[in-house]
Amino acid sequence: MMSCETFRMNFHESTEDAALLAHLRTCDRCLDFAATADPDVMFRALGGDDLVPPGGIDAFVDDVMRQVRVRDAEITVTAPHPVSWTRRLAVAATLAAAVTGATLVYRYDTAAPPATRLVRAPIAVQRAALTTKPSVETYQSESATIVEVPADQNDNVKVVMIFDESLPADL
Amino acid sequence: MKRLLTIALTLLFLTASAFADDAAEVGKSLTVRTFQFKYKKAENAATAIKSLMSAEGSMSIRPAANSLVVTDLAENMKKIVATLADFDVEAQPFRLTVRLVSAGRATAAGDAHIAAELRDLAPKLAMLRYNILDPIGDAEVTGKEGDSSQIDLTGYRADFKFGEYDPASDSINLVDFKLSRLAADQLAPLMKTTLNLKLGQTLIIGATKQPQSQRALMIVFTAKR
Repeated sequence: MMSCETFRMNFHESTEDAALLAHLRTCDRCLDFAATADPDVMFRALGGDDLVPPGGIDAFVDDVMRQVRVRDAEITVTAPHPVSWTRRLAVAATLAAAVTGATLVYRYDTAAPPATRLVRAPIAVQRAALTTKPSVETYQSESATIVEVPADQNDNVKVVMIFDESLPADL
Repeated sequence: MKRLLTIALTLLFLTASAFADDAAEVGKSLTVRTFQFKYKKAENAATAIKSLMSAEGSMSIRPAANSLVVTDLAENMKKIVATLADFDVEAQPFRLTVRLVSAGRATAAGDAHIAAELRDLAPKLAMLRYNILDPIGDAEVTGKEGDSSQIDLTGYRADFKFGEYDPASDSINLVDFKLSRLAADQLAPLMKTTLNLKLGQTLIIGATKQPQSQRALMIVFTAKR
């Protein structure tokens, strides 16, 4: 068994001496001493060169990074939404139903003609609603003033006055 | 979960369909129709439907074929088709009643008088402050579209021609209505006008020199089928 004095005299950085490394596994004080001079000495003392994860270091690193990304994704999805997705879907469905209902009701009211409209109105009434023409289409004198007395559209009597200086006074 | 998703997607699809239908209605398409006329002239038909055309509509007359090509919205085309169907019919007979009335303004209440047969006109003419109404003459004539006619009223004579019936306004055109007064065996022309008489409506044409004139000649027309 190596003494601490011997160890400290023979120890140097990056040593691979089996006896020295064996002493380190049993002496904590010499381990502290050695670690200040060579931080990797403890790893070598434990046989760290042989500790390679199954599948290699690259596969191990990839696996770790994948786990990190999964955790990140979980945090992103869950953290900002206090309301569950099922509730959100229910709200969307209700809104869609409301919009659909309102649209269909509106279309029914405006587009679908009521049954009474299918009844053909009397020809005269139907035509009367289409257009109106001036009662006096032309008059011989351009200097004459023609005035239509205002009346209701359904009035049965219409009056149009023609004021014409060329007319005799004793009409 | 799948059921909820299916319901939501179905409702969304229905909403989209409803709005898509609305969009289709907004973009109403134009339709083109050619009308050939048997009894009436195509140019007169064009005049008859002019007021029914939409801003997007147009028409072209083919005189050689006496036809009219109309382009308009499908919805509007229904009205045009109905109007032209009524328009292109054989010359129709109409009954025209013409009354001549002497109207005056009396300042003294005792001078105002309305003839019994003219009481139907009194309320309208009272608005123009005519409170004396005396009948001069009346006549009734029957004629078809295109017929010329002449009527004698006491001391007056009227010449005119029955124009075409306009189904859009339900009126008959009275072309070149010439009113003359018989004085010393001579006919003195008073006025010449073209009128549109709405069927069933009484049209009073008042003729006078000035608005403040105390006398006026009222020509009362009533056209019926």
